[in-house]
Amino acid sequence: MTVQRFLPILAILALIVMVLAPLGLDPRGYEMRILCIMLLFAGLGQAWNIVGGLANQISLGHAAYFGIGAYTSTILLNLFTLSPWLGGLFGMVLAVGFALLLSIPTVRLKGHYYALATLAAGEAMRVIANSWADVTGGPVGISVPYMPGEGLWMMQFSTVLPNYYLFLAALVVICLIFWKIQTGALGYRLRAIKQNEQAAEVIGVDTYRAKLIAACVSAAITAFLGTLYAQFQFFFDPDTVFGIATISVKMALIAILGGVGRLSGPLVGAAFIIPMEEMANSYFGSSAAGLSQFAYGAILVIVILLNPHGLTALIGQLWNRILGKGAPHDRAAT
Amino acid sequence: MQNLLTFLQTLIDGILIGGVYAVISIGLSLVFGVMHIVNFAHAEFLMIGMFIAWFAWAFAGIDPMFGAFIALGVTFVIGMVMQRTLIKPILNAPQVSQIFLTVGLLFALENGALLLFGADYRSVSTSYQTQALTLFSSDAGRLLVPLDKLYAFLMALLSGGALWYFLSRTRWGRAMRATSQDPMAARLMGINTDRMYMIAFGLGVGTTAFGGAVILPYITASPTVGAQFVVLMFTAVVLGGLGSVAGAVVGGIMVGLIQSFSALFLPIQLMNLTLFVIFILVLALRPEGLVARRRA
Repeated sequence: MTVQRFLPILAILALIVMVLAPLGLDPRGYEMRILCIMLLFAGLGQAWNIVGGLANQISLGHAAYFGIGAYTSTILLNLFTLSPWLGGLFGMVLAVGFALLLSIPTVRLKGHYYALATLAAGEAMRVIANSWADVTGGPVGISVPYMPGEGLWMMQFSTVLPNYYLFLAALVVICLIFWKIQTGALGYRLRAIKQNEQAAEVIGVDTYRAKLIAACVSAAITAFLGTLYAQFQFFFDPDTVFGIATISVKMALIAILGGVGRLSGPLVGAAFIIPMEEMANSYFGSSAAGLSQFAYGAILVIVILLNPHGLTALIGQLWNRILGKGAPHDRAAT
Repeated sequence: MQNLLTFLQTLIDGILIGGVYAVISIGLSLVFGVMHIVNFAHAEFLMIGMFIAWFAWAFAGIDPMFGAFIALGVTFVIGMVMQRTLIKPILNAPQVSQIFLTVGLLFALENGALLLFGADYRSVSTSYQTQALTLFSSDAGRLLVPLDKLYAFLMALLSGGALWYFLSRTRWGRAMRATSQDPMAARLMGINTDRMYMIAFGLGVGTTAFGGAVILPYITASPTVGAQFVVLMFTAVVLGGLGSVAGAVVGGIMVGLIQSFSALFLPIQLMNLTLFVIFILVLALRPEGLVARRRA
């Protein structure tokens, strides 16, 4: 009996729970917002997982794509009342363009070097958004015009409930894309790169192309989630959507804490981190600034010290200990 | 004449600020050179150094230039303890874990400082803060050397020189370089590499804290001040070649010059943008650094 066999059933069960979850909750309530953000960040983590998890290209600059998506659709909506669906599409194109621009020189970098280059790229976008005030509104931020009653076409709703299902649908699609890549030829190529790039090249894997494609897919998904985020929050500023801590690191963290390179990783990670963060914020938010972020950093350090392979590996370890089994099979799955 | 003066003034400013960048970057480079770990939390030690110097100034009236030594000592100990408890267990872990452990440390330190000290900006007032040496004066303009920046630069030179002496002329420094080149061989030669790692990390964060303290007269301390220096530090280190101490000096001065010269052509907000672009290009084209190739 392996865990793998139960996975499809587990996934369907989880999906049913997620579809039914809002029924018991206030559709305008705080809990619904947290659930929405959780779904959004699970999607972001999954998008990061394509590059960071499968190919082990640790990007710390995915906020660049996220912000491009958020700003493009919002600016187009402000100027031409263009539907965020189309605006989001433009955002995806721009994000892929940026991913190519960034990846063509940097994709050959490994480990620390790639992390540093992407970190700088995200920061560069933040600086541009802050200083190009004519277009982005600068540090003051930008608002999405409120158009009640426009519904799905303008991605605006009077309650959070439709947003929830929109995010859930997006997450399911993203997970399917990830699963498709993971089990397909591209996934094998990316994992070959992760294990041993030189060996992969020798046996004929075009590592450059594989990483480039992965980066573009990941960027496009992230950008679209940026658009969804903009339509959900109605207001944002450069430091939020291009932030290192708020987006880049958080999405990577969600994938890593949950178990890097696994389909389930970002889901577990988001289900753990987002509620924890929100709880810490609501408990201590006003009384002690920084406590939630402090706890956040401390937990990150502790989890990595306990098991460098992430939460799911940690849970697997515990599970096996309870069942009295030997080495965790979970770990070999990556 | 006017143009020449502007050029020279920009050059002076660039070198003065670059010297300090060099010192805060040396520590980062040392840690990478010896332990092969990129410490994303490194800039937070600059913040800690600034706070230590500020408290020394506020409660004991110690000038930040001397407070810098206290900052160095305290962070040296903190660094050694931290290396023992947090960094050592992940020395052989996957790179992902290394990156995220130090990123977690970054959050913890920054927000820990926010919890302890609040979000206020703290600055010191010294007698030399507003003074400047006039190198040249005429109708067309003047060449000035601000004293606070000059002192910071001189202190940076001092600590950089001391570190160079330590690494190249002392027994322990040699042992440290041996450890960075080949830990296994170093261990076989009877070097306690674990101790070397601890000292390297302590020294690395210590010099950065020292650099943070000496810039206190012209940069205000706040818990988030480290964030301003993260990319800057990494740019300096990568320009000079990750892991090379001499390279970090060249890289730091280059970053200072790039910053002050780009301020002539670009609006102030875009100053760092040039830096980011150069940083990515250098990483892409010459990840081993522009200048040095020898390890510290």
